[in-house]
Amino acid sequence: MLGKYFGPGRSGAFDWYFQRISGAFLVFGLFLHFAVLHFFTEPPLTYDKVMARLSSPLWKAFDILFLVFAVYHAMNGFKLIIDDYVHSSAMRAFAIGLLWVVSLAFFVMGFLTIISL
Amino acid sequence: MAKTVTFTIFRYDPEKDRKPYYKDYQVEIRRPGMMVLEGLNQIRWEQDGTLAFRRSCREGVCGSDGMNINGVNMLSCITHIEDLKPPIVIQPLPSLPVIKDLIVDFTDFYKKYYIVKPYLITKTPPPSDRERLQSPQDRKKLDGLYECILCGCCSTSCPSFWADPEYLGPAALLKAWRFIADSRDEGADERLEIVNDRHGVWRCHTILNCIEACPKQLNPTQAIAELKKTIINKKF
Repeated sequence: MLGKYFGPGRSGAFDWYFQRISGAFLVFGLFLHFAVLHFFTEPPLTYDKVMARLSSPLWKAFDILFLVFAVYHAMNGFKLIIDDYVHSSAMRAFAIGLLWVVSLAFFVMGFLTIISL
Repeated sequence: MAKTVTFTIFRYDPEKDRKPYYKDYQVEIRRPGMMVLEGLNQIRWEQDGTLAFRRSCREGVCGSDGMNINGVNMLSCITHIEDLKPPIVIQPLPSLPVIKDLIVDFTDFYKKYYIVKPYLITKTPPPSDRERLQSPQDRKKLDGLYECILCGCCSTSCPSFWADPEYLGPAALLKAWRFIADSRDEGADERLEIVNDRHGVWRCHTILNCIEACPKQLNPTQAIAELKKTIINKKF
């Protein structure tokens, strides 16, 4: 079964657990983003102020971590939908393969954007 | 003149009909508190003997007459006609193959039920002088789990069960937890291994239809959550 190389070798326990952990981190990250941008930055909010913050390695690291969790959470969400509705091994291999390509593309795009700031 | 209620019933005989259709019947209300099953019996005995449906105990114990009434799965024998908004639309339990009219094929449902080993598994020998005892506290843990009558209302109301033909479904998973939670049972590991699968507990997305459908007021979603928790605690 080709299918077993695309996820079900794992039972789904990891996917379920880390969907919750990544979800909790995303909520935390989003609140942090809101707080820092809209409450702890001296108004008016300008491009220069945001860029000054984003050039710090610590913020870049945080944003990359946020990106990893966001891409993982979205990818895993789509994989759950595939698990629900796509049952033929060939279609599953195609759909999950496509999902990996799209997810990695989004990650690379996001990563390059963050480190080039 | 006695009051009547319209029953709109799903009819399908694979040997005669090209496709299913709905037929209206007028049911006479002959006593207060009449059940849907009494209406169906009235139709079958007095109006149309070809209408097929399962029933046995007519008091919510045997689980034979699970059907979809006004969009919700329930037992016709314990559902009052007057609690339903007319016309009363009656269909077979969703997602299982129709044998005739309101009778569905439970083969797949039972196959999934047997997969979770719905019986007490013991590895240690029983005490020589008596049966395996259980404390009242341990026995209490089985309340809300053991009462399942296998009517199939929960599993066939579950969108995950409709979408994934291999998903074990809430009835089988509730039964798995019923035995894992039993202090006398020693088969937890093998059952957890079975339900920890893409077609096992992880297909449950807490849609909660199973709770709404269960005529015994059981909570399969809670049982599935306990299974998930146990697996996660063991693994991580």
